[in-house]
Amino acid sequence: MSFTVSESDAVDMSDAPVTAVILAAGEGHRLEPLTNRRPKPMIPVANRPLLEYVVEAVAEAGLDHITLVVGYHQERIRNHFGDGDEWDVTIEYVEQSTQLGTGHAVLQAEPVVDGPFVVLNGDRVVDAALVERVADATRDGTRPTMAITAVETPRDYGVVAFDEERVTEIVEKPERPVETNRINAGVYGFSPAIFDAIRNTNTHGELALTATLNELADETDGVNGITYTGRWLDVSNLWDLLTVNAGLIGAEATASNESRVESASVSIADDVVLADGIRVGPTVTIGGNTAVGRNVTIGSNAVLENAIVFPDAVIGAGAVVRDAVVANNARIGPNVTIEGTPSTMVIEESVHHNIEFGGVVGDNATIGPGAILTTGAIVGDDVDTDAGVTIDSRVAAGTTVRRG
Amino acid sequence: MCGIIGYVQASGGGTPTVARDGGVTYDTGEIIHEGLRNLEYRGYDSAGVALVGASSGLTVAKQSGAVDGLEIPDVADATHGVGHTRWSTHGPPTDANAHPHTDCVGDVAVVHNGIVENYETLKAELADHEFTSDTDTEVIPHLIEEELTADPDADLLAAVRRVEDRLEGSYAICAVREDDDRIIVARRGSPLVLGRSEDASFVASDVTAFLEHTRDVTYLEDGDVAALSEDGVEIFASGERVERDIETVTWDADAAEKGGYEHYMRKEIHEQPEALRQTITGRLDVDAGDVDLDVSFPPGFLADVEEIRVVACGTSYYAGRYAAQLFEELAGVRATVEIASEYEFGAGRTPDRTLVVAVTQSGETADTLGAVRRANEAGARTFAVTNTLGSTVTREVDGTAFIRAGPEIGVAATKTFASQVATLAMLAVSIGRDRGALAAADARAVLEDLQGLPGAVQQVLDKESRVREAAQTYQDSEAFFFVGRALGVPVALEGALKLKEISYDHAEGFAAGELKHGPLALVTPETPVLAVLTEGSRANETMNNVTEAQTRGAPALGCVSADAEYDTLDVDFPVPDVGIVEPLVANVYLQLFAYHVANEKGRPIDKPRNLAKSVTVE
Repeated sequence: MSFTVSESDAVDMSDAPVTAVILAAGEGHRLEPLTNRRPKPMIPVANRPLLEYVVEAVAEAGLDHITLVVGYHQERIRNHFGDGDEWDVTIEYVEQSTQLGTGHAVLQAEPVVDGPFVVLNGDRVVDAALVERVADATRDGTRPTMAITAVETPRDYGVVAFDEERVTEIVEKPERPVETNRINAGVYGFSPAIFDAIRNTNTHGELALTATLNELADETDGVNGITYTGRWLDVSNLWDLLTVNAGLIGAEATASNESRVESASVSIADDVVLADGIRVGPTVTIGGNTAVGRNVTIGSNAVLENAIVFPDAVIGAGAVVRDAVVANNARIGPNVTIEGTPSTMVIEESVHHNIEFGGVVGDNATIGPGAILTTGAIVGDDVDTDAGVTIDSRVAAGTTVRRG
Repeated sequence: MCGIIGYVQASGGGTPTVARDGGVTYDTGEIIHEGLRNLEYRGYDSAGVALVGASSGLTVAKQSGAVDGLEIPDVADATHGVGHTRWSTHGPPTDANAHPHTDCVGDVAVVHNGIVENYETLKAELADHEFTSDTDTEVIPHLIEEELTADPDADLLAAVRRVEDRLEGSYAICAVREDDDRIIVARRGSPLVLGRSEDASFVASDVTAFLEHTRDVTYLEDGDVAALSEDGVEIFASGERVERDIETVTWDADAAEKGGYEHYMRKEIHEQPEALRQTITGRLDVDAGDVDLDVSFPPGFLADVEEIRVVACGTSYYAGRYAAQLFEELAGVRATVEIASEYEFGAGRTPDRTLVVAVTQSGETADTLGAVRRANEAGARTFAVTNTLGSTVTREVDGTAFIRAGPEIGVAATKTFASQVATLAMLAVSIGRDRGALAAADARAVLEDLQGLPGAVQQVLDKESRVREAAQTYQDSEAFFFVGRALGVPVALEGALKLKEISYDHAEGFAAGELKHGPLALVTPETPVLAVLTEGSRANETMNNVTEAQTRGAPALGCVSADAEYDTLDVDFPVPDVGIVEPLVANVYLQLFAYHVANEKGRPIDKPRNLAKSVTVE
């Protein structure tokens, strides 16, 4: 067998279709309890999983072959996306059984990728235009490409030093103040040469893609940087879900919301997304930036605003749900109040100030009548609370909360 | 039980197909082959095609084995043809017995689904013809040959019509002939549907065969004969040209592909939350404690009804057993369940006070259709609960409720069982409310449980790894016994059926109280007992019987209500609190158990030996 690459093969290579590899194997600990039963990319915002927006952007960019790297609760992903026909793409799955970093995740795609490819995160929403630009750069060039965007809190991400379209350094979550707000947008373009580069990266333990890119940045060819100013929606913390939800509802809201509920006494804001077949009682108010999923029941007189309600949940009569996420099949009792006042949140030892967040109710949790959730209560899945309790902190999964 | 497809290019050139090299072709053979692959779930022990081209004439290729193994002959000028995938009823699966069948000279080819009951008589009458197979089907091309020889002016359409007069039984046939640019099809008792597009016309036993090419379909009625040509479709009934409605298929055929799963069955198990949401969407009025199933009965009928008789086969029969208890409890009507093939109207019943409910996933199950016909003849009111729009049963009953589970491909029914029971529960509430037998508050409680069903099933799916571990632990057992009481009985029976049909293990379901009346003699440390210990299944009493089995050394696995605890179980599977549908949720554990036992053993889960998805022979 010969490994010589003939000239005609080289020509074919430049015309080869660019495929997409989407990383969707991670657990997303920071979004617990919502990630206890589903991978982070499958959290619904504006009634569709985050990953679906990514798949759509890829499809819209004209890439018709997608490899999904899946692991944690992968059946949720396979179930939703199947073979991709619904999005007019072909979806193939590869498994990353243990979470050994983004570089390791990309390596899992090696057996099914044989030409230039784009890598995206399954939980970050970007525009199709960016995918197209990275794909074009990858098709034409031999250097790895990396998209760079600007954010207000660069130190939460990989800060990028950048010089004339060339990336010089990526510093992950720097502890000291930084001079730039440019960060790694998490969209890359590679040739199959990246697989060897990842394997040869000198690391301890996890194989981070950025470690490989830092090494490549020092080499002659370097890493190509593409700056991007379009939509870049990242969910780092639970309350980001509400922001991303609001951002996506703009594009998703349907004019026909009123026709979806029978009662004339229901008041529904324009920027609301309602699934088919929900049951809404009389005099319910659904305020702006709210998404309500399939098979949800909302009892009479309830008020929802700036909220995400997952499928199968029940909102009791007279309940008030503001600035909140109610997960699958959760039962919010009558007259429960979930409402946020600006407060300080601590997630995995990092402190976040002035966050306006009512709280999260995990999958299958039951909140007793008249209970009050406030200042960022995070109720784990399967929690069962008595009537009238007040919750303003984290309640571990499966806990029974008694009054007294 | 077989699958049929026919395809005719329109005069413009036919349905373009994308060849493997990316080019566009108009490959009649490939389109028919693809259609056969889509139909493979209907039968899969042999397959064949007949292709017709203006200069190449008639080319037939057929062989035993799976559709993928069929070599399609390269007939570049083929403009039309028919294909067949077979599940043997008459004669073993051999190359000779595969369809299409031809006449003596090889001018006529026929594919057929169903049974020609008088084929032995006909074969005797065709003594001077040369037969090459053991099938009933083969008489049809020879009969056509006779008609064509007897009357040189007759064309294929006329010949098929005359042959139809001589055939007894239920069937669907498609015939092609050399030097004839048409496919002639006839429907009597077996399903046939036409697909219509600008590029081509299709005919098949099921729309999934051609749904990727067109969604505009016409369901043929019994007795219809149709001619498909490059100019489109002509339909005849009783010799007269007729028009039939064109309907648009709205469901998603893509959902019928298995996507990222290794087996349709596992995919369909995981689709249950979404299928159930679809089943109940827009039908529950929780506040009013009522159901909107969009069905109507004559005024006063429900008030006076004396008996509801459910007729069904296989898994649908167990859904019926579940439903019968709900009809009695919620609707206050005496309810009985009959295996469809055994059903007779029976003595001591008043036809106009009897409601016969047929439960059939496909709507084409021959045994169930037979039962419906017997009920109709007796003058009873009939009702169908089915998954399939436009299916035969819907045209033979007085009313239908669709379960909306979406297409199910795995031979072992999973999501359709869940959706059947949910639909039947809604029917029970609806009838109970109509009769004044069910108070609004009690109805509301049931409807809240139904609303909670998708979420409860999702919680079971979230625990799949625990079921897989149990399956790995117990897979090598000698036998498996499933027990329950009340609503737990049909679930125990269904759990045992699922396991035996896909893992080939010995599995039996019992009413728990029956254990000590005999089956206990079979119990050993090598025979795990799986018990339904939920609300609605008299859990404490059932647990007593489980303990009896444990005393004999049997391992015990139980599906247990969230608020109950049975410490002595070897494995417990928690079932969320959803009242009378808890046994239905428990069933999801049993589905997963069956799946993982079979998967550990490497069984062909989606196509168990000797079984076919919808059984259209009696």
